[in-house]
Amino acid sequence: MRRLWLATALIAGPLLIAVLGPFVADSDTARGGAFAARGVFGNDFIGRDVGTQLLLGGRSVVGVAVVAAAVSYLIAIPLGLFAAMTRHRWLDDALMRPLDVLLAIPALLLMLLLASVIPGNRLVLIGIVALINLPDIARIARAATIEIASRPAVDALWLQGERPARIAVSSIVPSMRRTLAADLGTRLTGVLYLVASASFLGVGVAADASDWAVMVDRNRAGLFLTPWAVLAPASLIVALSVGVNLLFDGILKAGRR
Amino acid sequence: MSLQRYALRRVLLGLIQIVAAAALLFALTEALPGDAAVALAGDNPDPALISQLRQQMGLDEPSVLRFVRWAGGAVTGDLGTSLVSDRAVSALIGEHAVPSLILATLTLLLLVPLSVWLGVTAARREGGTVDRLITTVTLGLYSVPEFALAIVLVVVFAIGLGWFPPTAVGVDRNLLADPAVLVLPVLVLLARPICSLSRLVRAGMIESLASDYVRHARRLGISPRRIIVAHALPNAIIPAVQQLARTADWLIAGVIVVEAVFVIPGLGTALVDAVSARDVPVIQGLAVLFAVTTVVLNLAADIASRALSPRAEVGR
Repeated sequence: MRRLWLATALIAGPLLIAVLGPFVADSDTARGGAFAARGVFGNDFIGRDVGTQLLLGGRSVVGVAVVAAAVSYLIAIPLGLFAAMTRHRWLDDALMRPLDVLLAIPALLLMLLLASVIPGNRLVLIGIVALINLPDIARIARAATIEIASRPAVDALWLQGERPARIAVSSIVPSMRRTLAADLGTRLTGVLYLVASASFLGVGVAADASDWAVMVDRNRAGLFLTPWAVLAPASLIVALSVGVNLLFDGILKAGRR
Repeated sequence: MSLQRYALRRVLLGLIQIVAAAALLFALTEALPGDAAVALAGDNPDPALISQLRQQMGLDEPSVLRFVRWAGGAVTGDLGTSLVSDRAVSALIGEHAVPSLILATLTLLLLVPLSVWLGVTAARREGGTVDRLITTVTLGLYSVPEFALAIVLVVVFAIGLGWFPPTAVGVDRNLLADPAVLVLPVLVLLARPICSLSRLVRAGMIESLASDYVRHARRLGISPRRIIVAHALPNAIIPAVQQLARTADWLIAGVIVVEAVFVIPGLGTALVDAVSARDVPVIQGLAVLFAVTTVVLNLAADIASRALSPRAEVGR
């Protein structure tokens, strides 16, 4: 229980800043000297106020991560369902084997390569992160479907001549809920990890983007002058990541009791 | 299926995976805007010069043929020449591999004993304060982005306390000559795998300690230390051995990021530089090297955990 409170406290800060920050951020974009002392946190590498950048920079990190996770679930679950329910073995193999190849390539490497092929913007970043998570979720969905489809209740539906699509939507997907809920927590932190690390390496973001990960990278040059310009966004990312991990673990345990 | 047959099947599957991954990576780098001829032609590209260069380099041939030729070269250790530095890619990789290998080896050497020790310590006091502390920290720190963790550590330990240097700028490629430089990078690289492995060891240990054979060993009066080391642990670490393979993936990602943060001239830095300079042969060489490493380590872990527990269903 104490762990849940800790988790909520850790998430609340970064999440509030990410969601509400852009609305309260100072619209005054006057620039001063790079890494000069101004306000609470000082200036960033091109003389913008770090406080304002902190308020603006959470939206892209959190937004891209959430959307990318949603997209990968939306594609991977039907894919896994279809691969498991088709009566043609070759179709199952044709869908799942190529995904095994993706698993053999380290995620960040694939990301760097894909992002250098397709010129970077936020949509591309979402697409790449979704693609990287696809094989894992599709496998989980396929395995869960095979298990659920062998239950007597589903057998009965088959025998009644129910259409496969209807069986999938009405009885298999609802039974999969638990498996997917267990996956969601690790998936979200994993996606957050990928999005932040990619942005830090300059994949899919503009060099002067208002983004916590980009702030960490760009303001490193002034680490000794304005350490907060680096430490603050880095701490927000750490708090968010730790919080999500603790929260979902707590929820899962509470659900099992 | 006997272990030998399983190993043979698994190795064949690994080979197929490597070839498929290499083909995919080759295709991806092929799709990079501009090819080697455009890059060599310089800032004022002359179409005639470009087409002449293409012919010289064999770039006008079909890509399947070029892939076969490139793969043939790769097997014999010839990965082509860098477009930027005009040096052999294999020599370039060899040189950059030193710091990365030092980082990865040190991390792995520390990782296994540390995570076993943490996992066993937590499992022996299940539910106690030490256990709660270890599980909360390892759960929380799991999958925290390396660069963010690295920056927090740098600000605290390098700038605040001044214990370690903040970057490896000005340090020789042989990082072992200056061990202080290595402390923070290795700490960051350890964070993610240690969390995952120690949790698996803890879970396996709790299960083992509650099992019949451990209870029987206790009744026989075998010392608690011996029960843990000789009886409970071998069974408890099987899932962790399996997970060790995923560590390869994490270490590669971690090394890329950590080298960027601490300005270490290793393979990760070479890759990031090559990608931004569109140095295709170097990208291809490094990408395949990373993919092969991942596949081989996965393979080794699968076979090792199969050997440890013949009954467990490993792989597909």
